[in-house]
Amino acid sequence: MAKARTLDKRRKSVSNIRKMTHTMELVSTAQFRRSMARSVGFEAYVKRIARLVSKLVNVGTKIEHPLFIPHESTKKALLFILTANNGLCGGYNAGVLRAALDQFENLSKEYDEVELFVFGKRGISYLDYRGYEIARQFTEFDHNPAYENVLVLANECLTRYKTGEIDRFDVVYLRFVSISQQYPTAETLLPLSDSAIENDEEGFDTTEEQEYEFLPSPESILEEVVPDAFRLKLFKCFLEATVSEQVARMMAMKAATENADSMISELTTMYNRVRQTQITNEIIEVINGAAALQ
Amino acid sequence: MKCVAVTPEKTVVDRDVKFVVVPLYDGEFGIGAGRSRVIGRLGAGEMRLTLDDDSVESWYVEGGFVEAANDTVSLLTNHVCKMKGLSVEDAENALQEALKLPSNSHELAEVKAEAIHRARAKLRAALKAQNMY
Repeated sequence: MAKARTLDKRRKSVSNIRKMTHTMELVSTAQFRRSMARSVGFEAYVKRIARLVSKLVNVGTKIEHPLFIPHESTKKALLFILTANNGLCGGYNAGVLRAALDQFENLSKEYDEVELFVFGKRGISYLDYRGYEIARQFTEFDHNPAYENVLVLANECLTRYKTGEIDRFDVVYLRFVSISQQYPTAETLLPLSDSAIENDEEGFDTTEEQEYEFLPSPESILEEVVPDAFRLKLFKCFLEATVSEQVARMMAMKAATENADSMISELTTMYNRVRQTQITNEIIEVINGAAALQ
Repeated sequence: MKCVAVTPEKTVVDRDVKFVVVPLYDGEFGIGAGRSRVIGRLGAGEMRLTLDDDSVESWYVEGGFVEAANDTVSLLTNHVCKMKGLSVEDAENALQEALKLPSNSHELAEVKAEAIHRARAKLRAALKAQNMY
C-alpha cells in the first residue's frame, strides 16, 4: 500500500490541477456568454437586412446576382478551416480537422487545386505535420473575431471569385446549434446559395402602408445586399466557431473538474485509511513494547 | 425623431435627433421629421446628426443602407465611427494602398475604383475632423 506522504502529495497535485481546470471553466463560461451576446446582436442585424430584402422583393425585385452563378471552370477552390489556438477543448479541433480533411479530399477530386487558409494554431500544426500545403495561416481570430478583420478576408474572397481566380469557396467550422449540439460543418459560401439571402416575410407587416421610395433603385440596393449577405455569412461562421469552441472548452473543463473532485475524494479516503493503519501499528508497537518491559 | 446606426457587431448610435444628413452613394441626403418612407444605398462619408439642443455631431459611415420610416432613421452599415476618431495618416495610407491595386481586368478595375473612392472619402472626413477638433 502506498505511503501516506505519497498519497498526500498526489492529492495536493490533483487539487492544484482542479484549481486550474475550474478557473479555465469559469473563464470559458465568461467568454461563451460574451460570444453569445455578440451572436445575438449579430442576429438582430441579419434580421434587419432580411426585412430590407423582403421590402425589395415586395416591389417585385428579382434576386439575381453573379455571385449566385457557379463558375464553369474547375481550376481552383479555396477552403477556410477554422480551428482553435489552444487545446483543452475536448474533441473540438479533432472534429473540425476530420471534416476539413474529408472536404479537402472531395474538393481535390473536383478541382485542379485547393488552396488552404487555416485559422488557429492547432489546425496549422496538425496540417503542417501531415504535410498539407497551407497557403495562408492566421492565429489572430480567436475569442472575439472582429468584423473588420473578417471583412478584409470577405472582400478578398469576393474579388477573387469575381475575377475568376477561385471557382468555389468553402468553410469548415463547428456549427453551433445549442449548448449541447455542435456539428463539424463544411459549407459552400461561393457560389452563394439561394438561402444565403434571408427574406423575413414573417416579420413583414403587410397590413401597414409599405410604399417606399428607393434611392437609387431597388435593383441597385439589391446589388449591394448580395455581397453583404456573403460577408455576413462568413462572419457568422467565425462567430459560431468561437461560440462552439468556448462551449467545448467549458464542457471539457467541467468534466475535468468533476473527475479531479472524485479523484481527490478517493485519494482522501485512501490517505485516511493508510494514516489510520500507521497509527494503529504505532499503538500496537507501543503496547507490545510496554508488555515486553513488564 | 430617432436615429439608429447598427453594425454587425453592435448598435453604435441610438439617440433622439432633429435632423439627419447621411452620405448616399451619389451625394448627401437630408432626413427630417415626417419624411415619407425611403430606403437608400449608403456611400462612404460624413453623417451629421443635429441634436435637440441644435448641436451637430459628426460620424463617419462606410457603405450599407439607410431606411427612414415612422420618424426613425435606421442605418445598417459595416462601419461607423466618430469623425474625431479618424486618423489622416491612416486614411492617406489606405489611399496609397488603394492606388497600388491592380486594374488589369474589368472586375479588378471596378474593385480598385471602389477602394479609391472609399479611401478618398475617408481622407476627406479625416481632414475635416482634423480642422474641426
